[in-house]
Amino acid sequence: MADSWRSEKNFALPSKVLRLNWIAVLVIAAIGALGVVMLYSVAGGTLEGWAERQIWRLGAGLVLLLVIALVDLRVWLAASFPIYAVVLALLVAVPYFGTSAGGARRWLEFGGGIQLQPSELMKVSLVMALGAYFHYCADGKISKPLYLIVPLVLVAVPAALIVKQPDLGTAALILVVGLAVIFQAGVHWAYFVAGGIAVCSALPFLWHTLRDYQKERIYTFLDPERDPLGAGYHILQSKIAVGSGGLEGKGLMGGTQSQLNFLPEKHTDFIFTTLAEELGLIGASGLLGLYALLLAFGVYTAWRAESRFGQLVAGGVTFMFFLYIFINVAMVTGLVPVVGVPLPLVSYGGTALLTLMAGLGLVLNVALHRSMPLERGGSGGGGSIALPKWPVRK
Amino acid sequence: MSAPTLPVGTNADAAVAVPVRPATNHVAPERRMEARTRIVMFAFCMAFAIIAGKLSYLSIVSDGREQEAPARDESVPIPRPGIVDRTGRVMATDLQVASLFAEPRRIIDVDEAVELLTSHLTGLDAQQLRAKLDSDRGFVWIRREVGPREQEMIHNLGIPGLGFRSEQRRVYPNGRAGAHVLGYVDVDSQGIAGIEKYLDDGGSLYVASLAEPDQPAAAPVVLAMDLRVQHALHDELTKAMERFQAIGAAGVVLDVHTGEVVALASLPDFNPNDPRTSLDATTNNRVTAGVYELGSTFKTITFAMALDAGTTTLQGRYDATHPIRVGGFRISDFHAKRRVLTVPEIFIYSSNIGSAKMALDVGLEGHREFLARLGLLERLRTELPTAAPLVPSNFSEVTSMTVAFGHGLSVTPLQLATAGAALVNGGNFIEPTFLVRDRNVASSLARRVIRPETSEAMRQLMVFNVADGTARRAGVDGYAVGGKTGSAEKVVDGRYSNTALLTSFLGMFPGYDPRYVVLIVLDEPRAAEGTYGNRTAGWNAVPTAGAVIRRVAPMLGLVPRAPEDLTNLTPLLVQAEQ
Repeated sequence: MADSWRSEKNFALPSKVLRLNWIAVLVIAAIGALGVVMLYSVAGGTLEGWAERQIWRLGAGLVLLLVIALVDLRVWLAASFPIYAVVLALLVAVPYFGTSAGGARRWLEFGGGIQLQPSELMKVSLVMALGAYFHYCADGKISKPLYLIVPLVLVAVPAALIVKQPDLGTAALILVVGLAVIFQAGVHWAYFVAGGIAVCSALPFLWHTLRDYQKERIYTFLDPERDPLGAGYHILQSKIAVGSGGLEGKGLMGGTQSQLNFLPEKHTDFIFTTLAEELGLIGASGLLGLYALLLAFGVYTAWRAESRFGQLVAGGVTFMFFLYIFINVAMVTGLVPVVGVPLPLVSYGGTALLTLMAGLGLVLNVALHRSMPLERGGSGGGGSIALPKWPVRK
Repeated sequence: MSAPTLPVGTNADAAVAVPVRPATNHVAPERRMEARTRIVMFAFCMAFAIIAGKLSYLSIVSDGREQEAPARDESVPIPRPGIVDRTGRVMATDLQVASLFAEPRRIIDVDEAVELLTSHLTGLDAQQLRAKLDSDRGFVWIRREVGPREQEMIHNLGIPGLGFRSEQRRVYPNGRAGAHVLGYVDVDSQGIAGIEKYLDDGGSLYVASLAEPDQPAAAPVVLAMDLRVQHALHDELTKAMERFQAIGAAGVVLDVHTGEVVALASLPDFNPNDPRTSLDATTNNRVTAGVYELGSTFKTITFAMALDAGTTTLQGRYDATHPIRVGGFRISDFHAKRRVLTVPEIFIYSSNIGSAKMALDVGLEGHREFLARLGLLERLRTELPTAAPLVPSNFSEVTSMTVAFGHGLSVTPLQLATAGAALVNGGNFIEPTFLVRDRNVASSLARRVIRPETSEAMRQLMVFNVADGTARRAGVDGYAVGGKTGSAEKVVDGRYSNTALLTSFLGMFPGYDPRYVVLIVLDEPRAAEGTYGNRTAGWNAVPTAGAVIRRVAPMLGLVPRAPEDLTNLTPLLVQAEQ
């Protein structure tokens, strides 16, 4: 039986379609559908505008997800570095050819009205590239300083480019996701402890380099009531909305906070607030439950994957997905400062949705191919990455 | 815990580089990854627990109510306290009015609603109304402030989706009178100018009244203004502006012992019931928000300074035979006498040469310090917003000389009036106020700036000037008005113009025991019938001040007295002419 898993036949397309974790796909679709319902509600009970377009995007996203899930995992392993290189090139191009909006240059415009936000694509391709690197890296060498230079560069270069755009939030997200993958790969504890101490001791100095508006956000987070009509407005209105929803909520289209426009960004970053107001604690818990199912599936996939690449990609994407959920929900309930992070699969918006769908497609893919043997190059316990000019004795 | 160190040099042995923790190396990478995945999972669970806790807290325990209070404060208009003048006349009050709104989503038949509304409410634009009602918004205003009869009619139409909201409307029954002091409120009853803004910004009385939410109507705010005096001042300024075709006029009456602004008018003005009339920049409050080089009226400051410093006395003399040439400037006299003048003569002939020399005798440091003492170098603090004076950055000898006769330093008229009050009230500087102030409170705020003897000398000089000098047309029988004129050349296109003047008169009454200071400023007055082609202060600002004093002195309860004997000063004129 065990052997038969490893036979090529099981990785034939019809077999894969059958073995695909359709329950996970269903959960993803259900979360997306809940998002459409909320968009229908915040628009005042109409599909026009947000909900309608979101349906199309969800459809396209699900197709993308299935395609990515069904392609051979080896293809993705081989493509990891090239994809990373292409996305990095796009990021480099943004300052020169990008379109700017609101003082930041983040988008690349292609013919036919197609807009692309390379920083979004970078999230998934970074996870893949890091996964591939540690996949090829010899086990015993992971923690050696020289072997850490490549992954750190892989993380730092795009992060720096994104800071320049400027998009501090996305850059931070990339940094955290990247470090999480490095951590998961098994790099020695000492680095993280030392890094943590270094960052903590640098905080007072970093504070001085922050712009005034950034400091203002942190002050506001610490005490939203200090400026209830200005900087603290979002968070106060959001808390009022969540609180007024109570256990059962006010019913769809019945939320006064969102329907009467007290709530900012009610269809994007603050959609969770609308949900909590109109569907109550029960609705909010339901959505969080669906998320938890998805996260559990991701963690389980990472756990059971037999290839290093599979483990790291599934783990990294799951962690990223988790970060989105946590930061968004923590933000609208006033646990962390307001940063523009959408609620995955629910918030209105295209690029983030497609990125997440692609990432989840990879997780499904890893789940499908969990037992597929992936070449690590070199020999025995190996890993083909070795430093060319460094004398390594075996 | 030791971090792995980088081996140095080519002979470094990789195996030697990490010998300190062989145990770690023996753990299978898969096992380690499993452990780390477990850690990540634990973090996920913790995070979800925190979120779940916060969500439950917000929706069940707190119900979001703790945060509701500050938001509600701002959205519902609070009844504003009334404003009355010092005699209790109503200056501003709230009226309850209904405002008509619609909830477009609840309107069943938009066509019918539009038709009925436009036929019952005049001035509604049918197209705009249809657009509003056709939208899918939750709430739109149709008309703010609907009359009771209209409200009843619309109510009886029974259109679903329409409703009324009770609002307060601020009414100023006296129209333009005191508009600059009162200010006005916006459509949400938020004060956005004048005392109304001051109340919203935390005026003490108002805040105190808010502390007791059970009391619906807060005690009215009492202004220092006397509506009768205000009316007389406004009326006389309006006449003067018309007669002399000035582009603007301003006046203020100040109680010298309490600092209360009894009347303040600035023309052109506006109607606070219709704040749009205040949008024109010419309606700015010239008394508090405009800064001007006030010219020779400023000499009162110079004289008080010199007399108080003791660098001269009323018996002192200065040579005004020749103009002063200094650094490319030429300082000369308008009413040139070309001889040695006594100090009282310098005052009544308004000699620039004499004043400049008096300032030089005091010295730069002393001059600057005295101006600062009288609050002329920084923004005046009072309930209304005030403009900051334009202070020359380099206080040189030339500056000192020009400031001595009122050029080179721009201040608000209220600042000069406040300083003037200190010069004649016995020597105490008292910050002006637009709210009533008790004499005891005022004396606790008072700050001595000149000696009482100096103040007495200033009183004599000013009375003498009206009795025998350039300000004779301000004289009012029985009240012994005193004062100093000023005709400053305005700066036009970067140069002093000799056709555009800013004339002013700083007066005080009654001269026998000064109680009030009055400052009149006319902007670009022209010659009129009876001025023989003159446009200087003595022909316009001075008679205007006289007319104001003639009307208000009896209202203020002042008793006329026989004219004072100022023969102690007269010989000084005679002597000089001999």
